[in-house]
Amino acid sequence: MAKWGMVIDLDKCTGCQACTTACSMENNTLPGETWQDVLYYTAGENPSGQMKWLPRPCMQCENPSCVHVCPTRATYKDEEAGGIVFVDWNKCIGCKYCMIACPYGVRFYADEKPLIEPDIRDVFPGENGQLWSPPYQNPEEDWRRGIGIQPPGVVSKCTFCYHKVRHAPEGVADLDEDNPEVKEYVPACVRTCAPKARYFGDLDNPDSQVNRLIGDKHGVRLKDHTGNRPQVYYLGAGAGVPAFTPADRENDA
Amino acid sequence: MSTSMKGMQPTTHGNALQGPLGWGLLVIAGVVLLASLGYALSQLMTSGHTAFNTSSVLPWGLPIATYVYFALASSGLGLVASLPLVFGFKAYYPLAKRCIFLAFALLISGMGVLALELGHPFRMLWVIPANLQVQSAMFWMGVFYSLDLLFLLWKFGKLQGGHWDSKTARQVGIASFIGVLLASGNLALIFGMMSMRPFWFDALMPVYFYATGITSGVAVLILLTYLAYGFRRERMPAALQRLMSGALPRLFAALVGATLLFIVVRAITGLYSNNPEVNLVWSEYLLESGLYLTSLVVGLLLPFVLLLGGLRNRPGIQVLTAVLVSLAMFAERLYFVVGGQVVPLFKGSWVPDLIAYTPSATEWALTLVGVSLCLVLFLLGEKFLNLGDMPPQMTQAPAGDPAAGDPAVEASRA
Amino acid sequence: MKLFQTLINRRRFLQSSAAVGAAGAVTTGFTGLTGLTQAPPARAQPTRGETTITKNVCAQCPARCGIDVYTTDGRVHAIYGTSDNPISNGKLCPKGHLGSYFLYDPDRFKGPMKRTNPNKGRDEDPGFVPISWEEALDTVAERLNDLRRREESHRFAMFYGRGWGASDAGIQYPFGELYGTPNAAIGHSSMCADGSKKAKQATDGNNSYSSYDYRNVNYLLIMGASFLEAFRPYNNVMQMWGHMRTKSPKTRVTTVDVRMSPTMAASDHALYIKPGTDGAFALAVAHVILTEGLWNREFAGDFTNPRLRFLAGQRISPVTFEEKWVHGLADWWNEELKDRTPEWAEAITGIEAEQIRRTAVEFGSTRPAVALFERGATGHSNGTYNGMAIHSLNALVGSLFAEGGIGYQVGPSYGKLPVEVADYQDDYARNGAWKEQPRLDMKGTDRWPMVGNMMQECARNHLDADPYTLDTAMFYYTNPIWSAPTPQVWEEALKDVFVIDTSPFPGETAMYADIVLPDCTYLERTQDVPTYPFEGWPMAELRTPAVEPIHDTRMYGDVVIELGKRIEGPMGDYYRELGNLENYIRHLAAGFADDPGDNGVDGFESWKEKGVWYKKPYQWRQIRGDFYEWDGERYSRQMSAEEVKQHLFKTPSGKFEVRSGYLEQHADYIERELGIPRARAGLVQWVEPVYTGGDGDLHFVTPKTPLHAEGRGANIPQQMMVHQPIVGGRNTVYLEVHPQTARERGIRNGDRVRIISDVGSIEAECRFVASHRPDTLVLPFEFGHWAQGRWAKGRGPGNSSEITANVSDPISGLASYYTGKVRLERA
Repeated sequence: MAKWGMVIDLDKCTGCQACTTACSMENNTLPGETWQDVLYYTAGENPSGQMKWLPRPCMQCENPSCVHVCPTRATYKDEEAGGIVFVDWNKCIGCKYCMIACPYGVRFYADEKPLIEPDIRDVFPGENGQLWSPPYQNPEEDWRRGIGIQPPGVVSKCTFCYHKVRHAPEGVADLDEDNPEVKEYVPACVRTCAPKARYFGDLDNPDSQVNRLIGDKHGVRLKDHTGNRPQVYYLGAGAGVPAFTPADRENDA
Repeated sequence: MSTSMKGMQPTTHGNALQGPLGWGLLVIAGVVLLASLGYALSQLMTSGHTAFNTSSVLPWGLPIATYVYFALASSGLGLVASLPLVFGFKAYYPLAKRCIFLAFALLISGMGVLALELGHPFRMLWVIPANLQVQSAMFWMGVFYSLDLLFLLWKFGKLQGGHWDSKTARQVGIASFIGVLLASGNLALIFGMMSMRPFWFDALMPVYFYATGITSGVAVLILLTYLAYGFRRERMPAALQRLMSGALPRLFAALVGATLLFIVVRAITGLYSNNPEVNLVWSEYLLESGLYLTSLVVGLLLPFVLLLGGLRNRPGIQVLTAVLVSLAMFAERLYFVVGGQVVPLFKGSWVPDLIAYTPSATEWALTLVGVSLCLVLFLLGEKFLNLGDMPPQMTQAPAGDPAAGDPAVEASRA
Repeated sequence: MKLFQTLINRRRFLQSSAAVGAAGAVTTGFTGLTGLTQAPPARAQPTRGETTITKNVCAQCPARCGIDVYTTDGRVHAIYGTSDNPISNGKLCPKGHLGSYFLYDPDRFKGPMKRTNPNKGRDEDPGFVPISWEEALDTVAERLNDLRRREESHRFAMFYGRGWGASDAGIQYPFGELYGTPNAAIGHSSMCADGSKKAKQATDGNNSYSSYDYRNVNYLLIMGASFLEAFRPYNNVMQMWGHMRTKSPKTRVTTVDVRMSPTMAASDHALYIKPGTDGAFALAVAHVILTEGLWNREFAGDFTNPRLRFLAGQRISPVTFEEKWVHGLADWWNEELKDRTPEWAEAITGIEAEQIRRTAVEFGSTRPAVALFERGATGHSNGTYNGMAIHSLNALVGSLFAEGGIGYQVGPSYGKLPVEVADYQDDYARNGAWKEQPRLDMKGTDRWPMVGNMMQECARNHLDADPYTLDTAMFYYTNPIWSAPTPQVWEEALKDVFVIDTSPFPGETAMYADIVLPDCTYLERTQDVPTYPFEGWPMAELRTPAVEPIHDTRMYGDVVIELGKRIEGPMGDYYRELGNLENYIRHLAAGFADDPGDNGVDGFESWKEKGVWYKKPYQWRQIRGDFYEWDGERYSRQMSAEEVKQHLFKTPSGKFEVRSGYLEQHADYIERELGIPRARAGLVQWVEPVYTGGDGDLHFVTPKTPLHAEGRGANIPQQMMVHQPIVGGRNTVYLEVHPQTARERGIRNGDRVRIISDVGSIEAECRFVASHRPDTLVLPFEFGHWAQGRWAKGRGPGNSSEITANVSDPISGLASYYTGKVRLERA
């Protein structure tokens, strides 16, 4: 079985957030339920100020702290599915401990106050057990893997678009959207990335493009000190995440 | 007054709650319970957890803090009850039964609040045992608090049956003591093992939880004990009077002091650390919060000062400090739970400042559910279960015997 | 832990097949607390219908990305770029994916309506009542026929914004010729980016945006173009960015802008310039290129004596310099450039001379190099001259029509329509009174002699009855009552005009409508879409509906045809002959039969299947100062000077003109409007910008973010949640302000502030961005709607147009959106 990994080249990323919107439409997340997000950081001052950004999917950690804390095994790392970390919506009790335990802040409890008013859940009310039911929803659904629109009261997260990836041919080294044979199996964020800053492939295959990129361009993992060992690697300048500083303090003279 | 009771069954008819006052309070607490529960349920049924002000960036709020407060107060009382029942500090016998019942009431209330906080509380009942996730501290917390609850009931049953010193009672007491340690210790580790949340990350978190749990438990105990006797110490049985004017306030003072010490040490460590995920919690959140500072100064420091000297034996001071410490410990739980989350984790410019959180009405209603449920249970207990019971020999002990309850003396007598 | 994990893995393995789930009834209607009701059944992949993919073209910016629209069970649920579309190449920008929101926007108009409340205003409920299409069309046609009978047909105007092709905006031109109005196609280009087109027309004779060969460029100088946020075609630009920044050699990028932006942040050098002074920077760069001897001699020409050189402050003898493809270079140096030193420019632009010199040396010594710009540089009173100065850099380094350089777009090989306008014009159409009337916007008159459109003038002109008042106005894909500079004037002007709006969405202009004839959204349309300037070779795309219209809406092209059929006289026959939109498009596609595309598209059906027709490569190329034409295999046939003039440099001289013959033809006008002496009017030169807005001390710019879907995205919650990542703007847009600027005014991060010009004032919340220039406020353009749907309406901050003066570049007519000055205070 492959070990699915993602590589994000920050030297090519333009911070446009197409990954974010592609994800939100593919997975019908609520506004603000950003399974995939782009984080912006600024520093310095005119004329030498800097701004950097960092696309952030779920890291699908090799040693996922969210999985360890889940009291019900609702969240689990599925080695059979390439090491993707799923939430089984049939088992999740909504204790949110995994959200506490995830160092990357990639888990969502969408049963929260609407992040934008009017509440779109009132506009497209939930049907058939779903939290909300927009008319444009993806017909793909698998609650055991947290795919589709979630019911109320559970935690949701990025699935590496497993509903697509699962169809990948056995033994394929890379899911490259430019290869027409496999483009439908490529995660939405990777598939749409215009500057091709994202790559998706098998980390267990030394010949895969993701491994070559990690090797050639010194791939790093974010917050590696946590020991979670993400299956998402970053290339290029900008992978250093600044320590949090409240905005007010940041610009203190 | 105590002499007039000599020879009588210790039915504590000095207990004010067995009279009309009890009924009155029960009605009030019941109404509050029904109202708050009704409000919370209606909100949850119509809006789900959108009725909470918690969010994906700050998932644990007041209901969790309420649960932690109740669970730890319960554990604290469980530990206090072990003083006489396990360790032979017989001076504490007069409070043992009340302790245990109160621990039970607090735990039930906490668990009730927790259940209403969860996305799928009933699913929990089968999905946790069906999956046995032994890696999760939360799993063990569930196991041990369930055991704790069981042991509390069992132990209470023993006392209710008058078995203060039987072998099984002692064994159950020991089991319960261990259960309490494991349960609250695991609750501590739920926070303490989270290395990605440095504000909580602390191997000694269980010690902190034990100490502060006992503090909050004793505060509640003192308050409710006084309530049981209409805030008049002279209505208490002699042994209890001795306890309330001797060992207990001393213990209380020591506990409040220890709590302060813990907090100060944590604050110093936090303020010293460069790590913004600890440092900012102290410098920008806790110490910037007037409410938190008030809870420290008025709720802990002032009571500690009051309890240090001779004032501590005055009933008024005891009631006052118990109230203050109870509230302060509740604040401490809330700030502790929220404090671990206020520094946004990996959000970049989307969350440029510390995460702001103020509990919603529904969340406060849940806290009220917990408080009123606990009160209802306590009042029922006082009314029907004679929580003031103590071993028969205690009731006969002379009021002024200074040695009573001193384990060393007890041991030498034996 | 290891032991634990082994245990865990074993257990998980045992469990993985047996999904645990509780059977039970579906949850009740309650949204919350499902745990207290019954557990929902375990859910796995349900059965589903077949998924179809239709080819369409994204409509959220002008870029024209080919898209695959995924539809299952009659519902559109995904949009991805079309893999074999040359622009999108399977990719999309952040806007593209949100297309299904437009289709299923709950606030869309559901069908034609008429107004019942005669009063118009922000707070007036139009009182729309549904009517049938027949009634709607008859009502409008009757009004038009009546105007025509009264010989006032010129008082009917058709305004359009985002026109796509022959079958929508294009269909308006014949309508005007047949009906009899000069106002049948008043476009929004003067509120868009006409400055760059005009700068190019004035220098190389092409009144057009450029095409670019990013694949081969090695140096990019980007000026005021928001390259990584909004430059067309954005999606492809980003694809090329990924290529440029990883190819060998890596394309170096210097960006000059007035603010921090993703483009600035991602560039090798970011230079912060004072708004409106881009021309001075470019002139100084040109100065250094010449003094350092870095210009492309094969293209631009050379001294006759190799020992001669350009020395700062010193004239050259024109006879000693032999010009090749750059006309007027010696004059340019002598009359303008010789004194345009970096030190001179530093004082004007605020960019250090050393940075200017470095940029010039890099730009001049790296080939191929391209200087590109957009309305950051041209949205000012001196915009055309700024653009010309920047574009002249391309001439100096010889990147025009070169590999890795820039060119111009060629149109598609469309077929002829079955009808000729001339055959269906009656006497009135040919010689009626309307022929005497100027366009309402005074385009082509002495007032605006050089402009393409002047839509922003129409409201004022109507109110002043100069040249006349409007009677009836139809709007397509434009919402000037909200987006025009100083839209308050439009709010007043349209009160007594019979307004027909065709937007599918309840925008501000629709709130003034007397009749609403709602268009289909782009996912429901058949529509031809020739490309915007892209890589130069011809390309035309086609929209195919993914679903039948989900509401009672009609495509705009069909509405125009149906209206035409109802006009009295031969005009009706023209439209009856045309039939309907699809027939119209089929005739366009017939042209491909003789000129099949590279992908085999040779008619309507194959066009529909592929979604695009195109023919590579670009027909012409400049190689080392000579021009060649593609012979089918290579660029081998050398072109004559006449051919170059005909196809490429469409200027009076047939060369790139740094002394513009086009502007010299309008020298009197330029002298009058800009105070430039007649004799100098044609020179590429520095002209002081005239800032608008009054005595404000801060510049005010309103850029587009990558999520800005030309004003159509303001009612899309997903878009709002990620709109302004630079400062975390979600739900709203923050005013970005330098902390020092704010603190001087007692403003703290997050405070509510008021931005004031002499036209009005708006409020916003501010956030600090220390990377911005302290003298420049940045408010991304998106919100401030008083209509447009439930999410858009009333969402702050205020509409920046309301504090933007309606002042335009006299040459291009481009509204000076980025030249306002304002004051800032705490609200």
